[in-house]
Amino acid sequence: MELYKLDLYEASKGIKDRKFSAQELFESCRERIDSCEGKINAFITRTDNAEPITENPYGIFAGVPTVLKDNLCTNGIRTTAASRILGNWKPPYDATAWKYLREAGAVLMGKVNMDEFAMGNTCGNSAFGPTHNPNDISRIPGGSSGGSAAAVSAGYVPFSLGSDTGGSIRQPASYCGVYGMKPTYGMVSRYGLISYGSSLDQIGPFARTIRDIQLVMSVLAQYDPMDSSCFREKNPDFTHHEDASIKGKRIALVKEFQNFTLDAPIAEAMKKTQKVLEENGAIITEVSLPVVSKYAVACYYALAMSEAHTNLERYDGVRYGYTVNDAAGIKEMFERVRSYGFGSEVKSRIIAGTCLTEPSRCDEYYVAATKVRTLIAQEFIRAFGECDFILQPVTPSLPHKIGEEDEDAMKGYETDLYTLPVNLAGLPGLSFFTGYDDSTKLPVGLQLIGPRWSDSEILNAGMILERHLGSPKIADGGVK
Amino acid sequence: MSELTFTPVIGIEIHIRLKTDTKIFCACSTDTDAPANTNICPVCMGLPGSLPRLNHNVVEKGMLAGMALHCTVQPRSLFFRKSYFYPDLPKGHQISQCDLPVVADGYIEVHDAEGKLKKIRVNHLHLEEDAAAMHHSASDGRLEGASTSYVDYNRAGMPLGEIVSEPDISSSAEAVEYAMNLQRRVRYAGASDADLDKGMMRFDANVSLKCSDGRWGRKVEVKNMNSFRALERAIEFEIKRQKKILQSGGEVLQETRHWNDAKGVTSASRVKEFYRKFIVEPDLPPLIVNQEWIDRVTAMMPEMPDVRANRYVHDMGLTQEAADILTDDKATADYFEACVKAGANPVRAANWVRTEVLRVLNETQKKISEFRVKPEVLAEIVRRVDDRKLSTTQAKEVFDYMCANDCVLDDVVKKLGITEGGVAGNALAEIISNVIKANPDVLAEIQSGKDTKGKKFKFLQGLVMKESKGQAKPQEVVEALTAALKK
Amino acid sequence: MKLSREEVNDIALESRLLLTEKELDGAVKYINNFLDILDSFKELDLTNVEPFSFAEALECPLREDKVKAFTNTQGIFNESEHVDGSYFKVPRIMED
Ligand SMILES: [Zn+2]
Repeated sequence: MELYKLDLYEASKGIKDRKFSAQELFESCRERIDSCEGKINAFITRTDNAEPITENPYGIFAGVPTVLKDNLCTNGIRTTAASRILGNWKPPYDATAWKYLREAGAVLMGKVNMDEFAMGNTCGNSAFGPTHNPNDISRIPGGSSGGSAAAVSAGYVPFSLGSDTGGSIRQPASYCGVYGMKPTYGMVSRYGLISYGSSLDQIGPFARTIRDIQLVMSVLAQYDPMDSSCFREKNPDFTHHEDASIKGKRIALVKEFQNFTLDAPIAEAMKKTQKVLEENGAIITEVSLPVVSKYAVACYYALAMSEAHTNLERYDGVRYGYTVNDAAGIKEMFERVRSYGFGSEVKSRIIAGTCLTEPSRCDEYYVAATKVRTLIAQEFIRAFGECDFILQPVTPSLPHKIGEEDEDAMKGYETDLYTLPVNLAGLPGLSFFTGYDDSTKLPVGLQLIGPRWSDSEILNAGMILERHLGSPKIADGGVK
Repeated sequence: MSELTFTPVIGIEIHIRLKTDTKIFCACSTDTDAPANTNICPVCMGLPGSLPRLNHNVVEKGMLAGMALHCTVQPRSLFFRKSYFYPDLPKGHQISQCDLPVVADGYIEVHDAEGKLKKIRVNHLHLEEDAAAMHHSASDGRLEGASTSYVDYNRAGMPLGEIVSEPDISSSAEAVEYAMNLQRRVRYAGASDADLDKGMMRFDANVSLKCSDGRWGRKVEVKNMNSFRALERAIEFEIKRQKKILQSGGEVLQETRHWNDAKGVTSASRVKEFYRKFIVEPDLPPLIVNQEWIDRVTAMMPEMPDVRANRYVHDMGLTQEAADILTDDKATADYFEACVKAGANPVRAANWVRTEVLRVLNETQKKISEFRVKPEVLAEIVRRVDDRKLSTTQAKEVFDYMCANDCVLDDVVKKLGITEGGVAGNALAEIISNVIKANPDVLAEIQSGKDTKGKKFKFLQGLVMKESKGQAKPQEVVEALTAALKK
Repeated sequence: MKLSREEVNDIALESRLLLTEKELDGAVKYINNFLDILDSFKELDLTNVEPFSFAEALECPLREDKVKAFTNTQGIFNESEHVDGSYFKVPRIMED
């Protein structure tokens, strides 16, 4: 068996048991990348040209390769957020999440593609070209963390990190057929994550088994004083418990969502999953989320853009990134740097955010959105008084073909309805694999969400689902 | 037609640098003497991915400053992002509490035109970060028409408290008194050094005029005043300018104007100010100050200068003027009180501190903490004068010597050849005899009874004192001289 | 349409963005579409709802006032093309 096919748990155990070396695993992964990357284009920057360097051969990851979404700062290694405006920026510091992985022995193979500044859900809105779905290279991998999902799906690495502001981990995980976890807001330090919507952003893992997600979460979910929103009452336990049970757990469907249409494979998967849950002792119930279902999308975009445009004010060409040297004045310098540096989608969102927070509109839109967010959070708290988890789709359809993006951008946003509310309420959400669609052979994923800080309980439920629905296979990556 | 009159309506915004070791949102040093761009890090340079972390001490110093202005601490406050594009602002926005400040609702007293006390209300004090320092110069060193600006990010992220008054001020004199009083109080509280020369205290003023015919000019914000004198001149200039416009029937525009200290004028700002967008700073949860913390800071608050001055007047018998001078600076007042505690008579100790101690400090440009004559020693000198062990002249000689040298009191007395108790007996008799001999005409005048006012007697007495180098006791000189003249 | 081409262009300039005609077309459509969606907030009674909500009733953690110098300032300088000696050099502010 080829080593790149091993999952994280097996790989690190194999290295520790001296069945093979970190070097051998590294080379196997590198060969796999070399054979597929021409078709997939997951990388922005590869760092696998040297010997594998692991800081900690005895750590949880003990020399296992990984990749990071390119909005996570890596000391001395180019970090672009898939934008021209960062140019060849080499951060002078590491993101905390990467530091934790490094210290646990992980080896960096490179930085992977995303939608520019995480704004998008196709991984096609990148200054480095689109990434392709390893299950069908004519299709999108989803986004914004498309590169991270594709890399795990194609067997480049057993696990990777992405970030999720409105579904950016869960949607590509579902499209690529891997597990993706968006942790509770505050669970993982955001220090060194290039911000999009700061109050919504959260870093999380991709992997091909739930046990691997648990392993990565056990390392990521540490308190970090560098992030004032990183919060800890008690440390969560991400230990893998084989005997975990969902007996008696109330798992709800959202009443209002049932009016929306789903593509057949997804509706099918919903039924199949409910059956598995019931067979394992869970009780299927229903909760009502009227405000969420009607106002969450508008609320989300109002807040994300209001925050995003202020997060992007710092890109002026003075201290880092793309710049010009012959501007006649400071205003001209800023205008030229920003106009060339940002892509069109980012510009539209900056303008929208600026518009919403103008004094004449601030109360009507921005402040109102912060209030709607309060209602949404309250609605979820009430719902989780009546159930333990909510089961819902990640998206209403399977990944479309590259280049078939909907012209009407706002219509694309409607498809985010299943993912966005989770970020507004700071909840944890797991995108899990349910099987492959018979006709397209594409993977089909669904989502399990829970109350704040229920991350490890969600993963326990996810483990039972994996046992009965099966684990995803490594995609062919366009290579037969 | 009756003459139109105008009432100025003035509000002031004062930025003070809060006294901390590190910046407001990162662990970089606040040392103002550091070489350019050495106190920088990802946070204060606004690097992508960096996040702010609020300094505990900034909050505490803000509370102290607020309490010094009779403000109330707010249990919950928030930070916002205030956007504008300028190279001195690394993130393109300033993190500021502008909308929900940590302390609010206070006042400062000033004297109005009639000399009566008047309260100027303080709306609030909010915490915020400073911008980087910009130096504008051409390659040949010229300032005017320079093509480049140099940025020093050491100042970016320095902690500021912005104190916003209500528009209760009616003149430039009140404005200056308000500012000086505020400076004194925040210094007392230990919240800020408020050193104008180091840019630790900066002023903006909102000036408008109310006309007796009912018209009310729009508010003009005047920025960029860095001294009390500039504050005074800028307000006076602006009052005159607006008066002229209103008198000629014109309209005052609502605008931001910059004070040009060299030219002594305000001019409309060319740079459009974009204080337009406020969004909550999502990277900083609400700042919560509990009662226990408020109590702790309240206990740290020293007695404020006005309360202290009142005590000096009522309990120690000082004049209001003396009390005001002594309490102007907290260290001076502390020094004075240490003298009194060490047993010096308050009124005389006050005289010494006001005239001698402050003179020497002024001459040597030293702080009172570095002053050689400790308060206990000064108290001893004052006491010896009271006990007539030292004459006033001797005491000053001893004091001056001790200001310049490290030494103990008794050694100095010995070293200066002062025999405590002074020139008396035969030595005094000898001096008197010599003085009389040298001034026969004066002697004759006195003996002929013409010196009805005692002027000539005083003249001789002075000569005797001078000859004794001040070591004779005045009372003894009078007695001995009277006796000698009767002979 | 709530916002005209000119208004959108003014906002773009405020954000220091010069748009191509095509980008401006896109932005006008995008924003007007967006504002229409946001009008749905008017259906809700928000009068007594707490604004500026955070994910949790979080309290801002406070950092001890202790100097810890950043050790990689050279790494910061290396990334700027506008370093001149120990300063960052920018064109003089000359606004119209
Ligand atoms: Zn710093």
